[in-house]
Amino acid sequence: MVLVVLAVLAAACTGDTTTETTGADDTTPATTAPGATTTPEDTTPEEPSGEVSNPGLYVHAADDEPLSLDPAQAAAGEAGETVIAQVYERLVEIGPGGPDLIPGLSSEVPTVENGLISEDGLTYTFPIREGVVFHDGSELTADVVKFSWDRALTMALPEGNSSVLSDLVASTEVDGNNFVVTLNERNAAFLNSVVTAAVASIVSQEAVEANGGVEAGAVNDFMTGNMVGTGPYTFSAWNRAENIQLEVFDGYWGEPAALDVRIDQVADTDVRALGLQAGDYDSIETDPTFIDLLEGAEGVTIFSGDFLLEPVHMGMNMNIQADLLPPEDTIPPDFFHDVNVRRGFNLAFDYQAFIDGGLGGLGGVVPHYLPQGMLGYDESLPVFERDLEAAEAAFTEAGYWDEGFTMTVLVEEGGIFEVAGLVLADSMAELNPAFNVQVLAVVEGQFDSAHAEDPFPYAAWVKNADPFADPAALFSAYIHPDGDWGAVHGFRDAYADPDLIASLVDEAAVELDSDRRVEIYQELATLLYEDPVWLIPGNERALMAHRTWIQNFDMNPLWPRPSLKFAYFDK
Amino acid sequence: MQIREYILRRLMILPLIVVGTSIIVFTLSRVGGNPIAIYLEHEMTPAEVAEIEERYGLNDPLPVQYLAWAGGVLTGDMGWSAVSAQPVTEALLDRVGATLELATFAAIVAITMGVGLGTFGGARRDRLPDHLTRVFSISGASMPIFWFAILLLILFWVNLGWVSIGRSDPIIFATIAHPTGLYTIDALLAGSPSAFLDALRYMALPAITLGFGATAIIARMMRSSLVEELNEDYVDAARAKGLPERLVLRRHARRNALIPTVTVIGLGFGFLLQGTVVVEIIFRWPGLGRWMADAVLRGDQATIMAYVLFTSILFLAVNLIVDVMYAYLDRRVVLGA
Amino acid sequence: MVELSAPSRLPLPTHGPLAVRARRFAEVARQVLRNPTTVAGLVIIVALLAMAFLAPLLTTPNAPDPYQMPRDWTMRDVPPGTPGHPLGTTSTGGDVFYGVLWGARTSLQLSVIVVSITVTVGIIVGSLAGFIGGKLDEILMRLVDVFLAIPELIFALAIAAVLGPSFSNIIFALAVVFWVKYARIIRGQIIHIKQNDYVDAARVTGDSRFSIYRKDVLPNSITPVMVQATMDMGGIVLTAATLSFIGLAEAGLAEWGVLVSDGQAGISAGRWWASTFPGLMVFLWALAFNLVGDGLRDVLDPRTEGR
Repeated sequence: MVLVVLAVLAAACTGDTTTETTGADDTTPATTAPGATTTPEDTTPEEPSGEVSNPGLYVHAADDEPLSLDPAQAAAGEAGETVIAQVYERLVEIGPGGPDLIPGLSSEVPTVENGLISEDGLTYTFPIREGVVFHDGSELTADVVKFSWDRALTMALPEGNSSVLSDLVASTEVDGNNFVVTLNERNAAFLNSVVTAAVASIVSQEAVEANGGVEAGAVNDFMTGNMVGTGPYTFSAWNRAENIQLEVFDGYWGEPAALDVRIDQVADTDVRALGLQAGDYDSIETDPTFIDLLEGAEGVTIFSGDFLLEPVHMGMNMNIQADLLPPEDTIPPDFFHDVNVRRGFNLAFDYQAFIDGGLGGLGGVVPHYLPQGMLGYDESLPVFERDLEAAEAAFTEAGYWDEGFTMTVLVEEGGIFEVAGLVLADSMAELNPAFNVQVLAVVEGQFDSAHAEDPFPYAAWVKNADPFADPAALFSAYIHPDGDWGAVHGFRDAYADPDLIASLVDEAAVELDSDRRVEIYQELATLLYEDPVWLIPGNERALMAHRTWIQNFDMNPLWPRPSLKFAYFDK
Repeated sequence: MQIREYILRRLMILPLIVVGTSIIVFTLSRVGGNPIAIYLEHEMTPAEVAEIEERYGLNDPLPVQYLAWAGGVLTGDMGWSAVSAQPVTEALLDRVGATLELATFAAIVAITMGVGLGTFGGARRDRLPDHLTRVFSISGASMPIFWFAILLLILFWVNLGWVSIGRSDPIIFATIAHPTGLYTIDALLAGSPSAFLDALRYMALPAITLGFGATAIIARMMRSSLVEELNEDYVDAARAKGLPERLVLRRHARRNALIPTVTVIGLGFGFLLQGTVVVEIIFRWPGLGRWMADAVLRGDQATIMAYVLFTSILFLAVNLIVDVMYAYLDRRVVLGA
Repeated sequence: MVELSAPSRLPLPTHGPLAVRARRFAEVARQVLRNPTTVAGLVIIVALLAMAFLAPLLTTPNAPDPYQMPRDWTMRDVPPGTPGHPLGTTSTGGDVFYGVLWGARTSLQLSVIVVSITVTVGIIVGSLAGFIGGKLDEILMRLVDVFLAIPELIFALAIAAVLGPSFSNIIFALAVVFWVKYARIIRGQIIHIKQNDYVDAARVTGDSRFSIYRKDVLPNSITPVMVQATMDMGGIVLTAATLSFIGLAEAGLAEWGVLVSDGQAGISAGRWWASTFPGLMVFLWALAFNLVGDGLRDVLDPRTEGR
């Protein structure tokens, strides 16, 4: 009992001096022109370098653990991709400065100018770099590159990301020292979002063939838990639920890394924050709610970089099946067909509350559907703001103002999706007490399970968008009337002119001239403002905190989250 | 009934109970849960979902699935643990050492403190020390472990910096080999005092937190059985003969009082087993409890089934041993009632 | 009425006019109240019940669902002592005092419902096993063994995990786990009485099985059932809070475990109030019922009575 009392007193004495209204927001938005370079906003002065903890070792505390370290198996956007980015390499990489590409295992980046992209845009030639060695000593050749890509395509694992390859690639060939890819249609995003994707990483053929080989549709247990690549780091150990250890690769072809790496798995945000303060960790991904704690802490630098490319969004279902909805829902199946309803939601949502509450002030509103940092984004594009009068007018026009409605929205529990759902419920209730939004929060597995169903069993859902490096993929998935979500949600029943939307999206996907693409996407953004098919609560800023003794700290949201490449850092 | 018959009877029933438990566990996960959910990624097509179903045998009829799983358990293949991205059996073996070590140290804490407190209170029945120790030990049983753990962490970790979370300092941990999976034993085998101290330093707070609750059960039982013993005739007789209360009586009485206390070891063990789930979560201990917690939150049925079955078998075994021990120690017990 | 030598294990009467019973009850009550720790427990229980009943009066019930924590995005993480929020607010702006009071209500509902279900089911199953005996008894007791093989929290965890996070699922999970002890108690009583002399004597006087049940079994079982139920009132809330803490309750529920879990992340940032107060409530609730249950057992358990 005495212990309890002491502990309570101790708890009461820690950090009660900080005021708890929203923390001082002295981070100005980073420049958001297309191709933005990251401008780090440091909020603590440089500390003179004193004692560094763990010299020679870089410790990053991550909040989730990989499901697989196999490039052919890792899903888009999951934790395995970040480790793959350190240990494996790809033909072409996104450079540290921005969306510009740099050569990787290909000694040149193919362009139309240097002739490595054919005139018709269907053939890409990658000259393979010489003298590159894998971590197991085997040599890199064009044959090994072909082996890696073919492997991903043959295994075709449903949980993996090989569909980005199989959708586009018609054939792969080896021509001397070149790896030649032929596409089945032109695509502007091939280099910057397919070739740089984790699934296109080059693995050691020797290692794979010695450990289970390649089998269609089958998982390779060895590759799931081990890594043999060409990158600046070798895989050392994966202690489940504890850490992943990487070591500097002495035989690396490029600039060697300075520090070994240990990625600690720490799910609790507060533990990460404390560990950073104590010097146990060199960097952490953190939550806006911990900025207060970390802001004044000794030796800690807050890094608020660019926006992430995964805005939180609410999907609207135009393809509602009345018998699948929860019994409390009173909305008709064509609820979202009416543009007034869709606009009404967009006008009623309290964006400020979500950004301040859910994102701790570190976020922004998104024009439909170009997040900041994406090609085509411009500050002048129309964005939704809360306008209760306009919302009332819209719902009155739609005929729901007097009778109201009850609607269930499915969200993933814990975290900003749940908050977005709650803010939505509160926003609608504030607009009109008869507007009843029920937030159904379920665990990730249940959510994903519902997501895989077609027809979708709920009226609406909240999640974040997949991180795409290029708008072509984003629009294809989320805007095109016949795209992934277009088909499931029935966008053709929503858009005033679905064919126009379709033709614009298609055109921008194959247009290789950047400026023309920007024009098209901005036209789409304006159309979508009048005719939205999503509600976009907001876009998060990347928020990291690191020890001041780390040199060259920088992040690029186009790299897999947490968007760091440890090989560049030093202490 | 003879003790031998009693043991035999219990041993014969044991497999039945294990099978019964396995059926309940299996039915729970298949009928109530959504076993495929954890293997899915968001935005999978129905065709991809069907492939996953095929891979894990989830479209077979339930009895077939049960037999496949049960057969797998017997041969050592309990499926794939999605939360740890490795086979269930491998994941279980990786983590069992950590939990076993934690539970053992917690048990030591519980038994020492429990017997000590129970004796202290029982010998001073109904006087202040008795009431205080009784409240103290009942507090332990009423204490929400998660809350207690958080408070202790704030005091000893955040404020005093004496302890850290996790099981070890990764650098020290890497300096020795780990043949048994028990950090303290491995450190002794390797002759490394720094590793041994490291193990203890990380173990201290979780073991105390975990043991605190079990202390109550043991203390309570010890106290009441000691009180009962002190009421026995032989105690009055010894007192009448003038034997010093302290030295002789307490020792005899206590030894006899320990006998029924042994029965609560089974209960206490169950308490420890359950407590590991919460303690491991909060102290980031890489054991079975945390594995289960992750599985529960994410719906990893293969892991849940393996964990529940494993802990049940362990619990059954311990209870059986304790019952048999009690039967040996005290022939007054009616066997097989 | 000749009362045969049956060592009625408990001091309550098996027959007799109401007055005698009332006097015996007063006797027990006085013995119970002599124990200061038990009295302390009772006082705390009264306070907790008061909190539960007075919740709608002491706070403004949240609309549309008062069992959901109110949200106020402008008053997040406010420390205790702020006007209007004596215990501070949570990270979604919910008043901690509100959570404490309505959490008491939630806990009361939860424990009463679960105890009612478990006692009823336990009595039914135990009675069937005890009276009918034979094969049915064997089967039912094996079933009880299977249920007892799985440690309580882990069993409840698995059930709640499988059913999904919701208040009613937690109730169901706890009910499934906690009924077995009552079955054993009742069955034990029946077997004990079956083995006892005065049953034969009662048979001689023509009492039917059912009246034996009513007059002998049930009254004699009341005390161990009562003791167990009291302890369970505490244990159930503790287990439910643990389940919610791990993450199995519905979002935003005004329940102590949920509040501790939600508030946990803020602790190292100095925001201790959102989880300390609700956690304290869980502790006090379990403590109070354990103290009272313990005191009851002390008085009513024949092995320590009277000395």
